Amino acid sequence: MALLEIKDLHACVGEKEILKGVNLCFEPGEVHAIMGPNGCGKSTLSAVIAGHPSFQITQGDILFKGQSILNQTPDVRANKGIFLAFQHPVELPGVGLAQFLKTALNAKRSFLGQAQMDGVQFMKHMNLRAKALGITPDMLKRPVNVGFSGGEKKRLETFQMAMLEPDFCILDEMDSGLDVDALKVVGQGLSVMREPNRSFMIITHHDDLLQYIQPDKVSIMRDGQIVTTGGVDLVHQVEEQGYDHFR
Amino acid sequence: MIISDNRFFLSSTAGVVVERPASSKWIFQVSENGFLQGDFLQVNGDLDISVLLNGIDAKCELNCGYLLNDNNKINIKIHVEHKCSKTISNQQIRGLATGNGEACFNGTITIPHNSQKCDGHQNHRAVILSDTARVLSVPQLEIWADDVKCAHGSAIGPLNKEQLFYLQTRGLTESQARKILLSSFFNHFSSMEFDGIIQDWMAHYV
Repeated sequence: MALLEIKDLHACVGEKEILKGVNLCFEPGEVHAIMGPNGCGKSTLSAVIAGHPSFQITQGDILFKGQSILNQTPDVRANKGIFLAFQHPVELPGVGLAQFLKTALNAKRSFLGQAQMDGVQFMKHMNLRAKALGITPDMLKRPVNVGFSGGEKKRLETFQMAMLEPDFCILDEMDSGLDVDALKVVGQGLSVMREPNRSFMIITHHDDLLQYIQPDKVSIMRDGQIVTTGGVDLVHQVEEQGYDHFR
Repeated sequence: MIISDNRFFLSSTAGVVVERPASSKWIFQVSENGFLQGDFLQVNGDLDISVLLNGIDAKCELNCGYLLNDNNKINIKIHVEHKCSKTISNQQIRGLATGNGEACFNGTITIPHNSQKCDGHQNHRAVILSDTARVLSVPQLEIWADDVKCAHGSAIGPLNKEQLFYLQTRGLTESQARKILLSSFFNHFSSMEFDGIIQDWMAHYV
């Protein structure tokens, strides 16, 4: 069974239709890159999967582990295992990162009927992952995303993903605005998360990040629809020829 | 739920003469090198604070919060006067408003001609949680000196939807997300006692 399946999905913002019949399927363990020109609906697709309230679904369905999630709130989707790494993570002044992550982790555990993590267990869980991604103790104390550089914000998104251990990871332009060193940290952080039961949907414009986490499939999106799905060679085709001949 | 009175907590009054001519009125005279640090939490009625920074390097940090509900009316007036050069002031005002309440914040920073190298900050933010609550903000700067730093900001509105969504995508329910965002609003207070009052208020009204 597919981990996540998108069937003929149509979504609007106000009167404007942005997704015009998207069909996609993610098998467990699969890394699937989505590429497409600016404004084709990639970010909308990721927001709709995560349950953003600004979009109305007018047709179609999203099945996660075989069940429709369209009527579920973003928190239920998250606790079931969907994680969205934002292209532009919002700042949360006054909300300390570590405290927030502990609340989030325990929200998920209580949703899954697991015991709450105490302070010591949580610190162990956190420090291990923080170290791997170069998150300093100082960053953990700071408010979420406040005053962080673009690269630090992306590293924090990867870190939160590693903390919450989701089954389905959506990365919305994780590699935009990263320098080569930051890209390496994020790329390596992602590649160690690759597991047989965890799937990735990677929205990107370049093959930089994909060098670290090789996709099994690549889909090209244009004007709210998936126009082609293929192997990794599609990435090189896009890099060489642009999107014009994908229709 | 009734919070019987409005609360205050003065964590530093070094070099400060404190006058309280009425329960809702405060006058603080801060002398050279003096430091005033005070928290005020208002749930109803008037609060009128005057701070006079009278000597070089006098400093004040004022943290005010208000919690507005039902048909209550809150009126907060703060006047900080930098009467001497090299004085520093920082005011942080935060409010939550629900029900049919009405809050008015009137804040003035005055820097006269001869008070150079002063630094004054005032920031007022309020979250409106009902369709009928009203918050009015009147921030004012009266600056006559030319070599000073002075800034004020005021933002009133509902909770930020993108912040709520972000927290929800991390697995927090909408209600948990609201509570985290609203509590974080008040974390400039140094008094732990206020936390309890704010949490109780939120449990009842949010």
